[in-house]
Amino acid sequence: MNGAGRRPARARRFAISQEWLLALAIVALLVVVGLVNPRFVATRNLQTILLGNAYVAVAAIGMSMVIVSGNIDISVGSLIGVLATVSGTLAVAGWPVVLAWLVPVVLGAAVMAAQGALVAFLGIPSIVVTLGMLSILKGGLISATGGVWISNLPDGYHLAQWSLFGVVPVPVAVMVVLTAAAAWWMRNTGAGRSLYALGGNAEAARLCGIGRARTVMMVFAIHGTFAGLAAVLFATQLSVIQSTVPPNLELTVITAAVVGGVSILGGTGTVVGSTLAAVLIAAIGSSLIFISISPFWLRAVQGALILATVLADMWRRRRRGLIR
Amino acid sequence: MTAWPLKLPAHEAVLAAILVLALALLAVLSDRFFTLDNLLNQGLLMTEVGLIAMPMTFVIITGGIDLSVGSALGMCAILLGYSWHNWGFPLPLAIGFALAAGAAGGFVNGWVITRLGVPPLIMTIATLALYRGLAEGISQAHSVRNYPPWFAALGQGTLFGVPAQLWVLVVAIVLFGVVLARTTFGRALRAIGHSETAARFSGLPVDRIKLAVYTASGFMAGLAAWIFVSRVGTTRSDMGMGVELDVIAAVVLGGTSIFGGTGTIVGTVLGLALIQLLKDGLSLTGVKGDATIVVIGTVLILSILVSNFAERRRESGRMPPAPAPRPTTEKGRNEP
Amino acid sequence: MEADGAVAAPLLSLVGIGKSFPGVQALRAVSFDIRPGEVHALLGENGAGKSTLIKIISGVHAADAGSLLLDGHPIRLVGPQAARAAGIATIYQELLLFPELTVAENVFMGHAPRRRGRRLDWKAMRSATEALLESLDITDLDPSQVVGALSVGNRQRVEILRALSQDARLLIMDEPTAALTGHDVERLFAIVRRLRARGVAVVYISHRLEEVFALADRVTVLRDGQHVATRSVAETDRAGLIQMMVGRQIDSLFPKVTAPRGRPVLELSDLARPPATNGVSFAVHEGEIVGLAGLVGSGRSELAQAIFGITPATAGTMRVAGRAARVRSVADARRLGIAYVPEDRATQGLVRPMTVRENASLAVLGTLARLGFIDREAEAKLAADVVARFGVRTAGIEQIAGRLSGGNQQKIVLGKWLAAQPKVLILDEPTRGIDVGAKAEIHRLMSNLAGRGLAVLMISSELPEVLGMSDRVLVMRQGRIVGEFAGTAATQERVGAAMMGGG
Repeated sequence: MNGAGRRPARARRFAISQEWLLALAIVALLVVVGLVNPRFVATRNLQTILLGNAYVAVAAIGMSMVIVSGNIDISVGSLIGVLATVSGTLAVAGWPVVLAWLVPVVLGAAVMAAQGALVAFLGIPSIVVTLGMLSILKGGLISATGGVWISNLPDGYHLAQWSLFGVVPVPVAVMVVLTAAAAWWMRNTGAGRSLYALGGNAEAARLCGIGRARTVMMVFAIHGTFAGLAAVLFATQLSVIQSTVPPNLELTVITAAVVGGVSILGGTGTVVGSTLAAVLIAAIGSSLIFISISPFWLRAVQGALILATVLADMWRRRRRGLIR
Repeated sequence: MTAWPLKLPAHEAVLAAILVLALALLAVLSDRFFTLDNLLNQGLLMTEVGLIAMPMTFVIITGGIDLSVGSALGMCAILLGYSWHNWGFPLPLAIGFALAAGAAGGFVNGWVITRLGVPPLIMTIATLALYRGLAEGISQAHSVRNYPPWFAALGQGTLFGVPAQLWVLVVAIVLFGVVLARTTFGRALRAIGHSETAARFSGLPVDRIKLAVYTASGFMAGLAAWIFVSRVGTTRSDMGMGVELDVIAAVVLGGTSIFGGTGTIVGTVLGLALIQLLKDGLSLTGVKGDATIVVIGTVLILSILVSNFAERRRESGRMPPAPAPRPTTEKGRNEP
Repeated sequence: MEADGAVAAPLLSLVGIGKSFPGVQALRAVSFDIRPGEVHALLGENGAGKSTLIKIISGVHAADAGSLLLDGHPIRLVGPQAARAAGIATIYQELLLFPELTVAENVFMGHAPRRRGRRLDWKAMRSATEALLESLDITDLDPSQVVGALSVGNRQRVEILRALSQDARLLIMDEPTAALTGHDVERLFAIVRRLRARGVAVVYISHRLEEVFALADRVTVLRDGQHVATRSVAETDRAGLIQMMVGRQIDSLFPKVTAPRGRPVLELSDLARPPATNGVSFAVHEGEIVGLAGLVGSGRSELAQAIFGITPATAGTMRVAGRAARVRSVADARRLGIAYVPEDRATQGLVRPMTVRENASLAVLGTLARLGFIDREAEAKLAADVVARFGVRTAGIEQIAGRLSGGNQQKIVLGKWLAAQPKVLILDEPTRGIDVGAKAEIHRLMSNLAGRGLAVLMISSELPEVLGMSDRVLVMRQGRIVGEFAGTAATQERVGAAMMGGG
């Protein structure tokens, strides 16, 4: 990732950064679980983990941006469900595969931009808008399709059939490239920095000429684009697409963003962290199986992880006098 | 000598009018609708959501939110069934245990929110995951069945010809309604929602009140779990999934401001009834069940839009624009 | 007015600036010049119109009347950005920074140097920040430090750097030393002098007269929204400035009648809650009004809030009506008979969207209720009493409190706390932002209350009010009581001198 996520501040004496902490945690998990059960660290399993969760990481990129700017979105899981169905349906209906990949991305951006408009121009809190949209998308999807299974997807549809250098499946490569690109954008462009400004101090941002409405619109539209990409990654790894909303997906995405170090109060965090967190959570889920713990504990682990991260963030803020 | 609001506030009056209209329309459209059986059945179906909507109204009036209620319901249901079936608790004890667990879950939310200053939205998203995770982890997705016949009384029995749980809901509505409208506690809720600082400077025990409200929210989720399990006669870890949405939609539709300060139980009840009628009416007229969720979402967004505009218009007529030069405060800010 | 021969052409001229808010004429025909390379102090009591004036210069408010001339050309400043673009930067007391971001980024947010393809040039940003730091001789600040971890003094320097990075020609500083310690004040002065030498004009607002004499070239005094005078500092002295700021006849406004002084009601000994309150001891007696004077930031409100339990004291003891008392919460204080009318009515005193009735009863809900149920008749009666007794001008007790004028709002806050039948009443800036008529009413009320045996502790930044209303004056500085003046010993000069610290 070539230093794309390097913090503006190299002089962070307070603690090692969240990114390194997550990387360490992943390595530690691999080592410990690998010692207990070597099959866990087999290339095949690692590929499975990354492949099956690349879409979570990609969705978490957009979510991180939304949270950094001081908003939240809980409709992303439903949106991904809808867009995956759209993509599968188009593919089966004989549309060119490229369009089946592209249409969901455009659609995702449009839906999220619409939500962003409600937040930006009408001053409705993002939690309410996205809560409403969650049910509209979820109910709309089931009532429109009846939850049918979409099978007989065309051959060229599945992205995972191609690999880079024979070991890196395309979806994983997409995840890495998108993460790097997003990290670079957030770090090195005025628009990217304006997210941090808005989330950090909206009043000061206004004085710096950063308009709230425009920035909120922008961040939701970008988030929608990433949600569309995530939906494509999600759909193309399945042989059969069930046209329902993946349960609790929004929660998994938010967890990745928050555990990745995106501060709950806005203004800080990177997408390198959220991607690492998505990988960590997926690896924990997989490891439960290899050390014979029921996977039904996964969600509890997720909840505990969010809680721990949030409390650590509050503690860090208090210590640094950032509580305003 | 003072005109106490015996008349309904504007928002509730509009809702009531819409409700009557909807009733009339549905009665015309379907002859099965306006029967006592159907109406009672509808009331029965909204009990669980309704019970949770009562404390949620309080939570939102204080300016907070509780997204964990659906998960808390699931956790309590699992604890009820599991402690009875697997740990050998006597069933009444298991019920008590589930209620206590619900209250404890709410207390944890309230404690972290008031003591550590974590925003309610984030805290309850975390426990939304945690409580559901505990339900899944403890139950390992096994369901519990075969409850003794007496256990079904609450969820399936009737009292004076009315479903038993409907009585519970009525009691809860009266209780919460009276507390909000008539007591010091209710007044304090509104004061906190409008201005937490002023409430503190008036000597109101702000943190304790918020703690109580979140605890009540968890407790009522436990009560709803009990009724839910009794009604369907089985315990599953996915019980109550997504209930938070229905609850919040009803409360907000009922006129409780998402920014805190205003709201009534009457409004919440009207919101509940309206949503339930929409669901029922749509299904009676042949719309599939899932489409009703779409309606809830749309109604939620629209009702906020409308009340937002109304609020703005009232605000612009009320406050002097830009409360003049803000006095430079001596201490700068108050540690709340 | 000036005697100097070669006077630089003004950078910014204010011509007949006027501004009114609903119910208040904040500024009236204010005219003066600001020259390049001068430090121009702006003085005036609270409510004199300084804040409004700087908000007009910095584009936050638009003036109703008059015009601004920049380099002799009229300009219209629509919004703070327009002012920044015109080279006018303002540093508010509440610093507007991004705590999670670095110094360099805070300095350049919104106008960062770019490289090809519009990407931000972090290297250039860093070196430009270093150059700015060097030009001001600041050596202990690194461009890559996170701003949230900096001291207040350093954060302020970041704001100054930010202004300079935008080539500000006019820098407005609103009480920049209010939150600074001695060393940081010195460093700020050094920076301001350096800016002046560079030709930057600095408008400097402060309550501390010694700073004006140490730093400023010219001084403009505002009073009641009007321009009193603009003088060269060399031609004025402390007494002259105070005279200009206060100006009015002190006796005319304040109808304090001396009441017999009774037993001590509130006794503090070494009460402390660092850093703002550092060991305070005094007593307030029945029938006595004690004025608490001090500069902004001297710790008066913090002391009041420690007594009242908002931020409970961490050390020292307190006795109320002769008995040892521990106050750990506002509820404790209320039970002991302590009432506090806070300085910020809008956020601390009133729940503005609630009605007059609901506000009037908020502090005594418990006593109005039986088993938690509010006795509505008693509540309505209480509210009606408050309205009648204090002559609140309102359409009725169901009126929304936030819609009333400032004076009437203050009467409700007073009424709300008097309903609790306190023994000690602490008033924090009781007449700030209130028109003259309502002011006199509130003063009469205070006098009556003391006459009936209440112990009153009054915090006020208006020296005439303190002197006119108080039986005794205590002066606070840096969280301590540094002077006490009774009766005729309480003169403007003495109290003022104690406030400023010696001199």
